[in-house]
Amino acid sequence: MDAVLKVEGLKKNYGNLQALKGISFQIQKGEIFALIGPNGAGKSTALRIIATLLSPTEGKVEVLGHDLRKEPEKIREKISYLPEEAGAYRNQRGVEYLRFMANFYATEPEETKEFVKRGAQIADLGERLYDKIGTYSKGMVRKLLLARALMGQPHLAILDEPTSGLDVINSLEIRQTIREYVKQGTTVLLSSHNMLEIEFLSDRVALIDNGVILDSGTPKELKEKYGANNLEEVFRRAVI
Amino acid sequence: MRKFWNLLKKETKELINAQLIISLIFTFFLFYLMGTLAQGEMAKAAAPQEIAVLDLDSSELSRGIMNGLSSANFKVIALTTEDRQSAIEQARESGASLLLVIPRGFGKSVLELNSMSIDTYYFIRGFSMSATSASGMVKAVIATVNNYISDTYIKERLPGVNPEELKNPVKNKDYVIVKDRIAEGSPAEVSSFILSQSTFLPIILMLIIVYSSQMVISAVAMEKENKTLETLLTVPINRNYIVVAKMLSSGIVGLVTAGIYMVGFRFYMSGFMGNVPTSGQIDTVVQKLGLAFTPQGYLVLGVSLFLAILCGLAMAIILGVLAKDLKSAQGLLMPIIFLALIPYFISLFSDFNSLSWPVKVLLWIIPFSHPFLASQNILLGNYLPVFYGIIYMFVIFAILVFLAARIFSSDQVLTMKLQLSRRSLKGIKQ
Repeated sequence: MDAVLKVEGLKKNYGNLQALKGISFQIQKGEIFALIGPNGAGKSTALRIIATLLSPTEGKVEVLGHDLRKEPEKIREKISYLPEEAGAYRNQRGVEYLRFMANFYATEPEETKEFVKRGAQIADLGERLYDKIGTYSKGMVRKLLLARALMGQPHLAILDEPTSGLDVINSLEIRQTIREYVKQGTTVLLSSHNMLEIEFLSDRVALIDNGVILDSGTPKELKEKYGANNLEEVFRRAVI
Repeated sequence: MRKFWNLLKKETKELINAQLIISLIFTFFLFYLMGTLAQGEMAKAAAPQEIAVLDLDSSELSRGIMNGLSSANFKVIALTTEDRQSAIEQARESGASLLLVIPRGFGKSVLELNSMSIDTYYFIRGFSMSATSASGMVKAVIATVNNYISDTYIKERLPGVNPEELKNPVKNKDYVIVKDRIAEGSPAEVSSFILSQSTFLPIILMLIIVYSSQMVISAVAMEKENKTLETLLTVPINRNYIVVAKMLSSGIVGLVTAGIYMVGFRFYMSGFMGNVPTSGQIDTVVQKLGLAFTPQGYLVLGVSLFLAILCGLAMAIILGVLAKDLKSAQGLLMPIIFLALIPYFISLFSDFNSLSWPVKVLLWIIPFSHPFLASQNILLGNYLPVFYGIIYMFVIFAILVFLAARIFSSDQVLTMKLQLSRRSLKGIKQ
């Protein structure tokens, strides 16, 4: 199988603080791979490095064969990133925001239109898509941002806590959307505190704590290995 | 380029919001209103003033004084009472600004060369410009009266002698030399004319630097506050384009904003300065001395102004990275305002050449000083220091843009604030 993402010995220091202590993993095409761990485990730092926002202190990251240090711009063409605490431009209308973002990925106006159309479908905001984003609820903004992340059918979608702060209904819709887009060829790297969400979405999982990957595998493999009923138990046992 | 225009369009639209438009309209009309009011006051001050005269002497000299006042742009109200107190009452009721009381025996006494007082009462009915200008009239009235008396005396005693020639037998002619050009004229008049012509330049520059810098700092701070910066930094566009788009959009909006403010300010200033009389010859003198901007001069000044603005924008974008939100962005503008204020005030109250060396060096280091210095140097034909200033500003701009691009291409755009907070915390602990 083709590896969309290869991470080898990735380390990140913030001054004296070691946020990542040499993590390694690979994600294959069409996979949903999840990093799970408590706050401060290093999940978001790993995602931000892969999204080209932070530079690694040590180690190697390759996205579709492009080295992160040498070709960050090439990588940005292949990925889309949804930060945990993301916002959109409050003075823009939903549709304007999608068009603005689509223009960075599309090569011609027709493709922009196609992306915006797809984004509108994913966001599913109806007529509210033509209202100012400043008037949206948190859930509506999150759906718009997810639509932005997926509308261009990126090779790798990096989703940090995609359902953060959303109610049950909105969370279910977003999980469903992510699943549908993976079927169309997008590979997903996500992080979440929500073990149920991870179990529902992920093909493979890596347990991360204190900047180190403790274990990885499919949810089923991990549950069997640790004799646990769910991923929460798996994580607790792996940490202890 | 398509991606760059996409970004530039969005950046510009983000900056032109309802708040900006409303504040622009409000400020413009405020300036306009103040200018109109000031113009009205100035017109009142310049209009013929009413002066009440109680002539107790009724001599040929006292009548001559009244005629002299009329020809000196005073509207004379001759009072008929004999009593000083009722004359004050009549003058008050008539609304006159001044009351002159010419005592009995005045004409005779003066013609016998015994000085005698004319009592002057002036009424203050308010503290507006037109009301307070009445106090200045006293001197003018006395000067007119003295002039009339001395002229009359000379004419009577020395018929055929021009009183003006007798009173001022020695005259002088002023010449002004600028480089190799000479023209007849008053240096004070030339200086004040040049200053009045270049008053707007420092104000324009100050406004553009401050507004553009505020825009660019706000643009970066807004991205942070709205949590859109991380997303923007992961889209496939060269990070340098992000820096340039933010600077360019802020520059354009800052320029337009400053332009609108300037038009309003011009209305305001013309209210004060519109009626200031100037000698008709001054234009000719200035032309003769070559103290006018040539098209090349304007071009060089434009380049100098443009580079100063670019330096301000580049500084602002670096400072913007330190901002956590819009509120903290306002505080970060202070260093730029401070740097722009130093040359602004020095140019208003002093001359660069008369400054001490340390102050000169300080001014030279501040990039915003150079357009202030350039305007005077261009007028005087000293182009060399202007070109040095342009080269200096270009070097500073290149360094600042390089730094800004480095910051935006690295973690620092996200972590600089964090690193600084940690350092300051360490400092507190130690």
